[in-house]
Amino acid sequence: MTAVVEGTGLTKRFGTGDATVVAVDSVDIRIEESELVMIMGDSGCGKTTLISLLGCILTPDAGELRIDGALIDPVNEDLSVIRHGKIGFVFQLFHLLPYLTAVENVMVAMDIASTKTDAAEKRATELLTQVGLSERVHHRPAQLSGGEKQRVSFARALANRPKIIFADEPTANLDSRQSDNLMNLIQELRREHQTTIAIVTHHEGLKENADRIIEMKDGRIVTT
Amino acid sequence: MKTLFLKDMRYRRARVVLTALGITVLISLILLLGGIMNGMRIQARQYVESTGADVWISAEGSGGAFIGFSMVVEEYMAFLNSGPGLAPDSASPLVFAQARPSVRGKSTKAIVVGYKLGQLGGPNHAIEGKMFTPSNFEDYRPEDPVPYEVVIDEKMGLEIGEQITLSNEKVRVVGKAKSLMFVLDTPLLFMDVRIAQKLLLGNTPHVNMMIAKTDTNEQPQQIAAGLDALETIEARTLKQTLTDIIAYYVDEPMKAVQFLRVMLWLAAGILIGMITYVTMLEKTQEIGVLKAIGGSNGYVMGLLLKQVVLISVVGVVLGLILSYVFAAAAPIFVAINFVESIIVVCISFVVCCGSGYLAARKAIAVDPMIAFRGEI
Ligand SMILES: Nc1ncnc2c1ncn2[C@@H]1O[C@H](COP(=O)(O)OP(=O)(O)OP(=O)(O)O)[C@@H](O)[C@H]1O
Ligand SMILES: [Mg+2]
Repeated sequence: MTAVVEGTGLTKRFGTGDATVVAVDSVDIRIEESELVMIMGDSGCGKTTLISLLGCILTPDAGELRIDGALIDPVNEDLSVIRHGKIGFVFQLFHLLPYLTAVENVMVAMDIASTKTDAAEKRATELLTQVGLSERVHHRPAQLSGGEKQRVSFARALANRPKIIFADEPTANLDSRQSDNLMNLIQELRREHQTTIAIVTHHEGLKENADRIIEMKDGRIVTT
Repeated sequence: MKTLFLKDMRYRRARVVLTALGITVLISLILLLGGIMNGMRIQARQYVESTGADVWISAEGSGGAFIGFSMVVEEYMAFLNSGPGLAPDSASPLVFAQARPSVRGKSTKAIVVGYKLGQLGGPNHAIEGKMFTPSNFEDYRPEDPVPYEVVIDEKMGLEIGEQITLSNEKVRVVGKAKSLMFVLDTPLLFMDVRIAQKLLLGNTPHVNMMIAKTDTNEQPQQIAAGLDALETIEARTLKQTLTDIIAYYVDEPMKAVQFLRVMLWLAAGILIGMITYVTMLEKTQEIGVLKAIGGSNGYVMGLLLKQVVLISVVGVVLGLILSYVFAAAAPIFVAINFVESIIVVCISFVVCCGSGYLAARKAIAVDPMIAFRGEI
């Protein structure tokens, strides 16, 4: 199997002097194609920092990162191109744009990737139908429930056919029924798109869905 | 999605409209203040230019016609008419005095222009009614009975045959002249120089100034300088007189207004900069998310700048239109100079876009990590 994401010796520190926090400490990590991994661990152990490094939102202080086999050069490369080209993000707080409808929120991701509006609208509508929101296409975020918003987020994350989706606590703001629904959706999407997904979560109950659990402690990976 | 920025603006329409309106009001104020001053300059010139005189003679020490207090003995007329370099018999006595006539029972500001019909200083023809009856004698003769008649400015709103009261005497309106308002819409009342002397100058053989034309082949500048060298009079060319009158009646008293105009510009720049900045602060979260999902700085900047430019264009253009509407409706004469208004509009546009750009540049510096952190 090929690694979609491969980090070696990834390290990220915050602050200087005595206040330095090593949020991610020489982490080696490999995520294979079509894998569903869950990253777990106590609060503050570095989960968000790790997926930000893997998702090219943060640049590591040390270590190497390969995405889809290609070595990332954070100094000379425009990371925004990698972010919209190869990666999808789902956030705990959804972060949909309030002034856009569901379909437009999905289209924005494709607009960033310079997809033509017509094609983007067609794909966005398809994706929303897939996530079960065919009836909510023209609703604004304010008119959607938390679970529905998170489905729109997944549709947005899938828009540019990413190599991997990183989801940071996607179920933290959902009740258990909604989060079960979302988990079912994720399984369905994997079957459809063979998408590789890395989910950061605290929910022990979600564990059973994962192909693999990555346990973190104090910036290090303790079990994989 | 070409309309992404429009959707954002529609969502925040209250603020967008307020910002554009703020710019509109400031721009139209800047233009109106300029128009008021320009109007005053036009009114300061128009009577003086209409006389056709090249040389303006006032009393020694007056600082020039229209500036300081000036009384000249009319006897100089003989000297001027035989004087060198002036067109024969062109020298004309002129009373130009602020007055407070009672018009339809209301005390009104006006300027009395006393001159000799057929000579320099006022119109020779009425556009309605007739000219006043001229006095019979060339020189000053208090016993010469002349009817009290006045030719008024066509815009005064009085009818021919009505009477106004000037220095407790009834003066009859016999005609109307083409409008030639002086600074701040002050109407001119044209009458025979003898009546003006009688009513305003205590019936003395003085006038406020004398005006004349120079010979066609003479330089007004040299003639005026020659006359000015005399001990008892001051002489200025038309050009100098215009410069003096504009400085004295418009530019000096309006210095504070000029300052205010500059301040308004500053206010316009700060206003749009501040509103854009506050709007951007509110949007940090959104900007962070756009960057996190792969939007480049250029992409986000484009989004923000399109909004800034659109708001600026709308604000500035509405300001331009509104200033012309206000100018037409204003209770005083406002003459907005078109070229000046285009320059003002362009500078304002640059100021608005510039400050909007600065605010946007600050806003796009946001760390995309904010998308993972939620509220800060
Ligand atoms: N910008 C920053 N500046 C300073 N310290 C930071 C910064 N971001 C993260 N940290 C620190 O790095 C460590 C790891 O943070 P991170 O957000 O990755 O934890 P986490 O595992 O996601 O926690 P949680 O489960 O609470 O979300 C924490 O100790 C945090 O305080
Ligand atoms: Mg976290």
